[in-house]
Amino acid sequence: MYLRTLGIIALLAFAASADTSAKLTRDEAKKLKSPEANTRKSIDRGRVIFLQNCTSCHGEDGKAEGSLVASATDLTSPKLYNSGTSEGEIFRSIRDGAGDQMPAFQSQLANETDIWNLVNFIRSLWPESMRPPVQ
Amino acid sequence: MNDNKNGELQRAKPSNDGGAGEPETRPSRRGLLSSFGAGAAAAALVNPGKIFAATPPPIPSIRIAKDITDSLAESTRLGSFDAKGGMTGAEVFAKSCKDENLAALFCCPGNYQIINAISAAGIPAFGGRSEGSMASAADGFSRCTGEVTACSGTEGPGFTNMIMNIAVAHRARTPLLVLASNVTIATDDREYFIQTGYQQPTTEGLKKYGKRLIAPDRIHEYTAYAFRHLKTGVPGPVHLDFPGEIYNHRFSAESEVKEYYSKDKYRAESRPHPAPKDLAQAVDMINRAERPVIVAGHGVFFHKAWEPLMVAAEKNDIAVVTSGPMRGHFPDEHRLSASLSPDAFMSADLVVFVGQYSMPSKTERWRFHPDAKAIRVNPTGEDLGRNWPLDLGIVADEGAFLEGLASDLPRKKRDAWVGELATARQKYEKQLLDEYEQGVKHSAATNTVHHAVVCKEVHDFLYKGAIDPKLTVTGWGGWTIGNAGARWLRAYRPGQEVNCPYQYSAVGPDLAMMVGAGAAVQLGVGPQAPYKGAPVVVITSDAGITYSMFELDTAAKYKIPIVCIVYNNNAWGMWPSAVGTPRSMHMYLFQENLRYDKMAEGLGARGEYVRTQDEFRKALKTSYEVAAKERVSTLINVQALKEFTSGKDYPPGNIINPEPSVGALAH
Repeated sequence: MYLRTLGIIALLAFAASADTSAKLTRDEAKKLKSPEANTRKSIDRGRVIFLQNCTSCHGEDGKAEGSLVASATDLTSPKLYNSGTSEGEIFRSIRDGAGDQMPAFQSQLANETDIWNLVNFIRSLWPESMRPPVQ
Repeated sequence: MNDNKNGELQRAKPSNDGGAGEPETRPSRRGLLSSFGAGAAAAALVNPGKIFAATPPPIPSIRIAKDITDSLAESTRLGSFDAKGGMTGAEVFAKSCKDENLAALFCCPGNYQIINAISAAGIPAFGGRSEGSMASAADGFSRCTGEVTACSGTEGPGFTNMIMNIAVAHRARTPLLVLASNVTIATDDREYFIQTGYQQPTTEGLKKYGKRLIAPDRIHEYTAYAFRHLKTGVPGPVHLDFPGEIYNHRFSAESEVKEYYSKDKYRAESRPHPAPKDLAQAVDMINRAERPVIVAGHGVFFHKAWEPLMVAAEKNDIAVVTSGPMRGHFPDEHRLSASLSPDAFMSADLVVFVGQYSMPSKTERWRFHPDAKAIRVNPTGEDLGRNWPLDLGIVADEGAFLEGLASDLPRKKRDAWVGELATARQKYEKQLLDEYEQGVKHSAATNTVHHAVVCKEVHDFLYKGAIDPKLTVTGWGGWTIGNAGARWLRAYRPGQEVNCPYQYSAVGPDLAMMVGAGAAVQLGVGPQAPYKGAPVVVITSDAGITYSMFELDTAAKYKIPIVCIVYNNNAWGMWPSAVGTPRSMHMYLFQENLRYDKMAEGLGARGEYVRTQDEFRKALKTSYEVAAKERVSTLINVQALKEFTSGKDYPPGNIINPEPSVGALAH
């Protein structure tokens, strides 16, 4: 059964790669550039989206100190990110899901601008020395 | 269930052996086989070794004992001071409960004098298999009727078995009367014999009011305390514990009972009305808003305010989203319903919280814009301003406030706002269909059934087919399946949907709650009256079913028809939490392909096991028909994969629903 499942997963992955709305690979994500400038307005908009969609697992402050899921990433500490810290990789984690527990938000956040605003907000949670400058 | 009406619920066919009757509708292969038993036994006397090797001894059929049906048909009996021996404390208490229209009692044996007196008094009473599940059954009964219900257990283990379920009721603000015996006053602090416990500190933080009764002649006085709290203001559990000296005390005259006067003298039905200037300000704020929305919380349901809610909303084109441990007090299909339009909330400029007892934090997950103004209406003042800054706070009964709005609001059309709600609804429904289509592919590829497929099939069967969409009360629980179920279940009339995990996210009370809800529908209590006798449907998980599965016996015993859908993914929903520490994974998993359907058969229900969408569709139809026609419950064991919970290989994975919306579980 397990082997059959693996086989099915492989088939699905193949099918997905041929789809235009398929998940991004990590390399593809690294090449993405945000169309949303890292402005205070974008960060504020991202914060609202964060509060509405992300706090159950990542907490109000992004530190993921609650117990709803064990493996939610502490968003304030980029060194703990498992799926990359570039703006494109964070975009990918949100849109396509990450790890075993974070679902894809492609459907709920169908407007990609919202995801890019969220990316800007998440990077605003980083330590000041690592934070991208606000324009 | 004790009166003649209830006797109709469980009519048994006489058996020819003079013993217990077979339920007239129960299919029984064993019954057919039993007729061969006598012959086999006779042959065994001749050659026992041969017979035992060839034919196992017959197993008697599962059946409802004649003692049960006889007991349910007994006439009711209230205690009387004029009776020989007078009236016991338990009888005084039961009479007060009867006078207060206590809707039902769910219990396990223990606290004998109290539960016996309540049952004898004619209050519908149900005996189940564990005290915790019975507390949740009472909770479920209340969530779909708005009525006060009771649960009871014996002191010590029976009482402590109820703790999780009392906590669940507390978070939902359920008017649950928790009863328990508690040894005797004379033996307090002596660890005398067994089961000594200090009950009131144990329920601290889980109740609205509680009291250990210590003076026999004050039993009625404290019953009045209990019902004042249960029926006034914001509801919540009330816990009374009864030492033996209280329920066994005998009274020969009313004068021996202190403060023994009727309910119209010990509590008031008066409702707090909004101050005229507050109502005028609310009307002005709503009228000036472009996109107002009412959050209709549990108070709108408990205080039966759904009619003025509808009038006020329609008069001024106000959007309405329902919230709370039950849904349906504003119909999902209405053009002003925002329950399926979560993306519209961001543009609302005024939020009117009415009877929203469990307040979300403004910085939490609710989708309103931070700059939206807020009005909050609550029957008591002490909670106004908690968690959400107020632009206007009003102390008022929900019905009184909404009647005021319905009267004073001008007629107004808000076509742009209504159009925005419709657009957001279309978007949300498209999201659901997208998830379903992915689920169909995942199901076909794995020879199992994805959670979105299960829930879409239930949705189409209950609301898009031959059944009146308003007919069936549903409930949901579990993690992956619970979130999906909440997205797909609908409520078109008050009390139609029970949100089992509301605010506490307890694993497991789902089936027990729906036994209670099912009892309410069978009795036709409150808003269930037009749908009396209909089956109920619950969607739950393999983790969740464990906690209350034995209540299928209770459902069978009282002929409460339930279609129980178990999403069997072989794991606790949180199994991905072990992915980073592989040595831990075993703690999150069960054996694969467990046969909950077989266990259900062993408890007197039907069982179905399905692995495909088509099989599930057929099983659901058959199970519902059997429930409707024969009042027999079914457990449908739907085989799934735990990997569906993760979006890694089976996107989108488990989605935590936006709030407020049809899928909300936190608030």
